Amino acid sequence: MEVSSVQMLYTHVIDFLYSKTLIFCAVQRCRLADDLCRLSVKLTSFSRFGRSLVRISVSDTGVGSKLEEYQYLKYRNDAVLTNQWDGMISLATTSISDSEIHNLNLNLKESDSAGRLIKLPSTAKNGDKFSGTEVSVSISKSLDDLLAEVTCFLQKMILVKIPKVVMELLVGGNDPLGSQIESRILAIEGSSAYSPVESIKCLEVGFKDYVRNRHTVFSIGETLKVGTGVANSSGSSQGNSQVVEAVVIISEMSEQFPSSCIREQDMKMEVLYFKDFVPCSIAQSAVDALTSINWKSYGLALRSIADHDGCIMLEWENLPQYFHVHIAIHCYHRQVKQLVAQNSLPDRNLARKAVKCALDDLKENNHRVLLSTRALKICDCAPDLAKTLARLILSSNDLNFQEECCSLLGLQSRRVNMDNVGNCIRDKIVSVIGLNDRNSQKHKDAPSFLFEDDYLQKEDFMDEEYQEDEEAYNSLDL
Amino acid sequence: MEGKRSNTQPLTLLRKIKGFTGSIVEDLARGRAPTIYIDRFKNYCTDTSGNCSCSSDGSTGREAISLKRECHARRIDVLLRVLLIIQQLLQESRHGSKRDIYYMHPTVFKEPSVVDRAINDICILLQCSRHNLNVVSVGNGLVMGWLRYVESGRKIDCISNPNTAYPIPVHVEEVDDIISVAQYVLVVEKESVFHRLANDQFGKRNRCIVITGRGYPDVPTRRFLRLLVDKLHLPVYCLVDCDPYGFDILTTYKFGSLQMAYDAKFLRVCEIQWLGVFIQDCDNYSIPQQCLLPLTAEDKRKVEAMLLRCYLQREVPKWRFELELLLHKGVKFEIEALSVHSLTFLSHEYLPSKIQSGGYI
Repeated sequence: MEVSSVQMLYTHVIDFLYSKTLIFCAVQRCRLADDLCRLSVKLTSFSRFGRSLVRISVSDTGVGSKLEEYQYLKYRNDAVLTNQWDGMISLATTSISDSEIHNLNLNLKESDSAGRLIKLPSTAKNGDKFSGTEVSVSISKSLDDLLAEVTCFLQKMILVKIPKVVMELLVGGNDPLGSQIESRILAIEGSSAYSPVESIKCLEVGFKDYVRNRHTVFSIGETLKVGTGVANSSGSSQGNSQVVEAVVIISEMSEQFPSSCIREQDMKMEVLYFKDFVPCSIAQSAVDALTSINWKSYGLALRSIADHDGCIMLEWENLPQYFHVHIAIHCYHRQVKQLVAQNSLPDRNLARKAVKCALDDLKENNHRVLLSTRALKICDCAPDLAKTLARLILSSNDLNFQEECCSLLGLQSRRVNMDNVGNCIRDKIVSVIGLNDRNSQKHKDAPSFLFEDDYLQKEDFMDEEYQEDEEAYNSLDL
Repeated sequence: MEGKRSNTQPLTLLRKIKGFTGSIVEDLARGRAPTIYIDRFKNYCTDTSGNCSCSSDGSTGREAISLKRECHARRIDVLLRVLLIIQQLLQESRHGSKRDIYYMHPTVFKEPSVVDRAINDICILLQCSRHNLNVVSVGNGLVMGWLRYVESGRKIDCISNPNTAYPIPVHVEEVDDIISVAQYVLVVEKESVFHRLANDQFGKRNRCIVITGRGYPDVPTRRFLRLLVDKLHLPVYCLVDCDPYGFDILTTYKFGSLQMAYDAKFLRVCEIQWLGVFIQDCDNYSIPQQCLLPLTAEDKRKVEAMLLRCYLQREVPKWRFELELLLHKGVKFEIEALSVHSLTFLSHEYLPSKIQSGGYI
């Protein structure tokens, strides 16, 4: 039995997760349709027997639903759940070739498989050609609570624009006069077509917005540094080629902000994980991938990875208080499969490669970021070295020599003073150290010296477990 | 005057410093990590096969230090700070001691030996000696005897008081017009022995120059001795205690120290001969058993280490033999042990007889 979809079921207590699973299947159905689709999540409040309930409907215009999609859903017997949901799912689905819409009720409480399914009268299509599904459950929970959770979930969905799918969140109910009202809370446009370049770009842009919105209080604005990485498997005997996209963002808050305002939970950073275009709780293989990365070569030390209700939070050692590392990982299969069970588990090596690629991309494009611990220590010397060099130049009684040095450094003679020269040299030293740091990671062999009188620190080059059918690259290579 | 090397003039050195600084700036400007290559010198090694290159004065290899390593980055920081100070000393024609330099940045340098190493590195880079950098060494040596010279324009006339100690000049390059009627130079290890000789009017009875480094000889003492030998072409005899440290001091005079190996050519006195005291002198001069001390474990370790020095077998096999004998007998004794016979035994009997009879190696 395929584990991950069931895991999605059990990682959260809230029965709303059932609708997350429902959304997952709806998304795959839309992708399969390979045509412009609409996916709606509708929350409607109503009352029955004096209880206020909310009807959650997930409807899509993708390919018709297959009964096997629901065979792995199990009703979990716990008190909270029993109070909130009766285990009934209403299903209406039709494929393009069907002449009617099938209506069914699924009773998950029923252990006997024969008794689970209740066929209801079909609805005629009258010759119209369309396909789609609507799945509904009724939950005893406050509309506001559910709305908050769904909105949060959908805000993450914005990061991965599903090709050719438009999503919307609708809220409905009775107005004081008893008539039905419906309003659209959120609309998400998908991308026009799938392309690997577009896909990672969407994730990058979406994630940047997401990070900015989460930290509006600290007004970080422009100081976001981004790196992206993609890893492919070219298809194996298991059948389906996987793609893992990773985006790493370093946000540095304004140093003037008083540190007392930084909340404890800001020190732990959530890793956003997506599977097949839907936000999910992170797969164990991705967690393993994160643990196996040699963070020291990026100047980071991972203190812990903690699971909080399916959200993975990373805690780092000794990070400056205004420095955050944000990671988003999207693992998907190129070939959409309707039945989740047909997809293989995400590959640990792929995830690791993608994240490493993103980290390297970040480092490549931003000179002072993610320097290895070793390089950071060398950078500590940079201000002193720079000052001394500046003084060596400017205290020489040979003015020609001073001019030559300043012109080498690209400084105009009228802007020459100890501070400017010192700062210029310091920047060049840091840049050179950064360059060496990146190069030393690319080449496994450290440069050899003729004589070593100091112990050569062995660089912990994590071996890349290259398999024949894997490639890793950052999006710029595409 | 001490032989001036043409490429050690202040202007030349300043030019070299600028060249060095300029090349670092150029490397940085072009996005390269600057690498500094420093030749390494050794005046001995522990390869006793005879195949080593220590006998040549050339470098035995090169060390590369660059910004790619943290320990190197700190070392470069120290080197540049010292270089800056030296540039200032040369430009302003002022002098500073190693200690002066150390106290300019004590938190960065952490200890004076760090400054020492930086100064040596700079000497190697600029191919000069310490005094060329206007770094003044502390002078501890004493001289007396039949000698007259001019130091920085001042006349020093040791001959007028041949039993009075004069300090060895620190600025040996300022020493000129050396005149002497001495027949030999006697180098003694300890100040106590030096004063013994002075007290016994040794200088009056013997036409010689007596020098002491007061232990391990410092750079001015070695430079001064070197100068005397170059100018006067006199035989040089060395009197040290019969113990491992005495022997080490003797080899320092003859071959130079490992730390200053890059400058050994200008500091060593190859002509020096070992006068005593030898282990056989115990018997030859009837020194009683009570005057002999056993070698400690540390003494033995030091002797064993010194026996491995390649230059012993190659250049002074007889000295090596004496050292082995010392280890074999397991005892040591001081020069003052000769006073067991009489206070003046050293000055009146031992030294004259040894020199006359050729009892030196």
